Amino acid sequence: MAANLSNAAAIVGAAESNVIGYPMELIGKRVTSLQHHIEAIKNVCDLTGIPVADIQGIFSAGWSGELAEHLGLRPRYLDTTMVGGCSFQIHVHHALAAIHAGIIDIALVSHGEAGWSYRGGGYGGGRGGAQVSPATEMTAAYGIFGAPSQYAHAMVRHFHRFGTTAEDFAHIAVVTRQWATLNPRAVMFDKKQSPFGGPITLQDVTEARLIAWPLTLYNCCLVTDHGGAVIVARPEIARSLRTNPVWISGAGESMGHQNMLEMEDFTATSASRSSATAYKMAGLGPADMEMAMIYDSFTITAGITAEMLGLAPRGKGYTLWKEGHAAPGGRLPINTNGGGLSFNHSGMYGMQLLVEAYRQLSGTAEDGVNGIAGKQTNARTCVVNGTGGTLSTTGTLVLTADS
Amino acid sequence: MAYDKPIPPQGQHTQPFWEGAKAGKLMLPRCTDCNRTHWYPRLICPFCHSAALEWVQASGEGRIHTYAVQHRAFGGWQQEVPYVTAFIDLAEGDRMLTVLRGVDATRPESIKIGALVRVEFEQANEDTHIPFWRVAEEQ
Ligand SMILES: [Zn+2]
Repeated sequence: MAANLSNAAAIVGAAESNVIGYPMELIGKRVTSLQHHIEAIKNVCDLTGIPVADIQGIFSAGWSGELAEHLGLRPRYLDTTMVGGCSFQIHVHHALAAIHAGIIDIALVSHGEAGWSYRGGGYGGGRGGAQVSPATEMTAAYGIFGAPSQYAHAMVRHFHRFGTTAEDFAHIAVVTRQWATLNPRAVMFDKKQSPFGGPITLQDVTEARLIAWPLTLYNCCLVTDHGGAVIVARPEIARSLRTNPVWISGAGESMGHQNMLEMEDFTATSASRSSATAYKMAGLGPADMEMAMIYDSFTITAGITAEMLGLAPRGKGYTLWKEGHAAPGGRLPINTNGGGLSFNHSGMYGMQLLVEAYRQLSGTAEDGVNGIAGKQTNARTCVVNGTGGTLSTTGTLVLTADS
Repeated sequence: MAYDKPIPPQGQHTQPFWEGAKAGKLMLPRCTDCNRTHWYPRLICPFCHSAALEWVQASGEGRIHTYAVQHRAFGGWQQEVPYVTAFIDLAEGDRMLTVLRGVDATRPESIKIGALVRVEFEQANEDTHIPFWRVAEEQ
């Protein structure tokens, strides 16, 4: 039976941006959608007396990351559902659910849209022109394009702070490839699948073509096709099906920044916070995890995230791979599908993490996907961590096998 | 030679920055309530959420926070590879992205995190002077 959300939360204030409608007096002033958002937020906070800093959840149609960063917030609940004009009713519904669930106490639902200023008689006035975020405005000049050009800066800072080397991180690529050679679905399974497939050495990684020093090609994820889906159901249903349930024992989310310009510590992500929430919910800790599925857009992503998840001490994430713990047969298998580095990475890799975690904990890895078997581990618990943007946003799940 | 690299579109609330850049001055937004400087420019102070912001001329000095060497680029930057991008810790606080000058991109290990850098501006068009940072001698 569905939980009764009736009266579980209330709307406590409503406000608008300073000038709405046809802001004639602002013609030529380039009023932006962002400005409408920020003014309305400031006004509703002034109205209710709720400090901006007390906002815990941000709900908007596509703007939530940008708004959180602009306000200097680290929300515990992000919802940026964009399904047209009804998005805001849906946001209220989602906020109600999040509050009812006890995840947050205060939610902001925000809207800003310079519809006239950028189309009809306003700044647009025929000139049109795209609205640009101030962060983009101040970084667009420098030829930073694509993820590797940005992530490389994090790796250099890790070198500086912890004395790590390119070779340390190369172990992550080598071990992840070992897993791929056990998964015939992996792009890099063998030489038949790809001329670059099959096992690789440390030297292969460190001497590969430079993309953005210190990231060589093999430190970077693949670009492939992928489709995936999972179904989540309540316990009574889950127990009645012919498939094995894998329990969502813990879940958490957070963000550090939207633009790398605002990354406070280049050797840390918000996975420390999202995983703390998830572990706490599960009543389990890093030491209880028997495997991990860690978003590995780059070797540095995996290395840092292992530290954030508490699986290794600060500065030592890479040792899980270097010392073989993460490898096939190791005590803490990581990225058992071959990872974004060697299995599959379609741009957004979070679904691949989920499919593999489910296959492992349901004990069905060897049954295969589409008839192609993978490598089964003995793990009964798995921490799954997705990383979005430029080491920006994280979502952590603690999954457990059915007992 | 005409400037062939991306020229950012300018926003409304950032005009004091671009005006300053034209005059060779690095202008930064500062909150008159908590006195903290922030970068990139906000519509509201990201620290205390005051809307009382002003622009102040910065020292134009900073230090390298971290860097990378770009071996792949697009548009006008393609001709420049390899080149060094860096995040600069501003003397006034907060951080700025740039392309670093006065460094050897073929010897990345020779670049030092924490090194002193100074801002300089290059004219991209009539309205836009772009800030770049150059490694400076320690006094
Ligand atoms: Zn302030």
